[in-house]
Amino acid sequence: MSGIECEERDGIVLIRLRGEVDLSWSQQVRHAVLEALEKNPAVGVELSEVSYIDSSGIAALVEGFQSARSRGSRFALVAVSDAVRAVLELARLDRVFLIVADPAAVAGV
Amino acid sequence: MKLARRTPPIVAPAHADAARTLAFLADLSQAFAVSLDLRKTLSEAVNRIAAFMQAEAASLFLLDPVTRVLECRICVGPVDLTGVRLAIGQGVVGLAVAENATQVVADAASDPRVWRAGDEGSGFVTRSLLCAPLSTAVGPIGALEVVNRRDGTAFSAEDAEMLRLIAAPTALAINNARMANDLLEQQRMKREFDLARRLQKSLLPKRRRDGFPIVGVNLPAHEISGDFYDYFELADGRIGFVVGDISGKGLDAALLMVRAASLLRWAGKDGVAPGAWLARANDELCETMHDGRFVCALVGYCDRAGNKVQFAGAGFPPVLVYRRSAFDEYESGGPPLGIMAGIPFDQHEVELNGGALYAFSDGATDVRDASGQRLGSEGVRALIARHATAAPDTRVRALLSDLKRLKLVDDTTLLLIEEPRAHDAQVLLEHHLPARAENLRDMRNALRATLDHLGIEPALRDRLVLAVDEACANIIRHAYGAQGHGGIGLRLSRTDDVLSFELTDDAPCVDPGAIRPKPLGECRAGGLGVALIDTVMDAWHVEPGTGRSGNRLVLRKRIEDKGFT
Repeated sequence: MSGIECEERDGIVLIRLRGEVDLSWSQQVRHAVLEALEKNPAVGVELSEVSYIDSSGIAALVEGFQSARSRGSRFALVAVSDAVRAVLELARLDRVFLIVADPAAVAGV
Repeated sequence: MKLARRTPPIVAPAHADAARTLAFLADLSQAFAVSLDLRKTLSEAVNRIAAFMQAEAASLFLLDPVTRVLECRICVGPVDLTGVRLAIGQGVVGLAVAENATQVVADAASDPRVWRAGDEGSGFVTRSLLCAPLSTAVGPIGALEVVNRRDGTAFSAEDAEMLRLIAAPTALAINNARMANDLLEQQRMKREFDLARRLQKSLLPKRRRDGFPIVGVNLPAHEISGDFYDYFELADGRIGFVVGDISGKGLDAALLMVRAASLLRWAGKDGVAPGAWLARANDELCETMHDGRFVCALVGYCDRAGNKVQFAGAGFPPVLVYRRSAFDEYESGGPPLGIMAGIPFDQHEVELNGGALYAFSDGATDVRDASGQRLGSEGVRALIARHATAAPDTRVRALLSDLKRLKLVDDTTLLLIEEPRAHDAQVLLEHHLPARAENLRDMRNALRATLDHLGIEPALRDRLVLAVDEACANIIRHAYGAQGHGGIGLRLSRTDDVLSFELTDDAPCVDPGAIRPKPLGECRAGGLGVALIDTVMDAWHVEPGTGRSGNRLVLRKRIEDKGFT
């Protein structure tokens, strides 16, 4: 099942995405990411359970990255699945995002 | 004397009150506004203007936009000036137009501006006159003149101002009528162009599908094409072909094209060698063409198997043969036709051996890319290589679609010759989805399963699924847009080692030029989908659907042996 969960731990907001991120709900991902960044100085998007992501999903992450940069906040992709990594590489964005293995690392960004 | 009898008994002061002037202007404007026959209305108006200005005579001159000569079109008064012509700057009327300013002549006898030929022999004596230009946004289109106040006094500055006010609605009415006429003329010309275009299209040969080795396409850059192609079968089984390109554009180029097309066909009917064929057509054209026009042409024959090709070019761009990933180029055999009679043309003979011959009219290498650079022979080669895996019909359409996307600047005609093959496309999947995002997942699952079944290795499978998903998402978001309701048809087929993903929709036709990828790796949202499609697929193109609306998007990927697990 696809879905979004948010949790706050040690001052970090972690947005956990699951399933196939595509055009049908990537807008929700975008809102969740931008909203979290409005209220929190450190946001991570956990992607270990994401089996598919399309360009609209990637675009939501790009917007998060840009928003964080302009605010001086911390933003990272956490535990990126192979499926997501393949698309990031294809789009040559794998070196743009900060990608960390553990949620705790977001705080150290 | 005529004049003595006509002098009215009572003359009101010329500088009538403002209310009277306004009422007159309103009446005049109203008369023009409701006029169905401007000539009649103008004639009545000039009469009323003469009366209102208390003038003995009045006349209206119009400027011929082509000859720049002023001609009197309407005249009231004792002397008929209708038909009198004046140059700009000549006489008071000519000066009013030249300076685009009202001219006041208080004493005509001593004023050097006055052109007196009109009075001579008529008994009419011009004492005082006023002339206002008919001004429009693009300059004066004529002038309105009144002569001699009936009370014998000279025209005043107030009179001049009044005439200037009257000239305004008059100019407007004439200008409107002219624009309406221009519009009619444009419509008439458009009808003629449409007819010419249909005539031209009817001259192009019917497409043959039954294992025929030649496919031709013509994409006119303007309404009327100067390009043509033709093919015909000879009694000995060979097929004759012609591609031509007429210098110049427009209707006369199109008419010459019709003549050159029939001449070239006639000259090759008896199977004469291509060089002699061109020489024959050249001599014929030289006899009749003397207006600096010329015809570039390629003529030749191929066998039914699409293997042996004999051809000769006259000022035609090099012919390209693409065979086993390499190009051979064959230069034209002589100058364009219609310039110098009695010259020979060299010919070539090639065996295609499974390769394909491409003959592009000049237009193809003239095509500019986004930065305005000419595509050139290298660019055309790259396009050919890119689409080489497609079946001939699809290939020529894909090539044309790319040329169109690259901003066509000339007519383009393409003739393709190759061995007719049974390009048996094996349909692997047909899937239909309502064009809404929530249906994409099912499409992806169906496609993934089909590709798995085919034995495509997972990494490539995922990329292909992503590219098709992006294409569908673009159709949903951009082709159908917010209000769109319709479906998307996905058809996956395999021809030899090439997979074709064909997406059809019923959305309004999209402009292929508007679909542009953004550079990958660039960190911004949007435009990423097309870039991903570009990266994953070998080639793709959009073309109008077969119905009245709709689009057909074809994505192609060659699967190497290692692609299959």
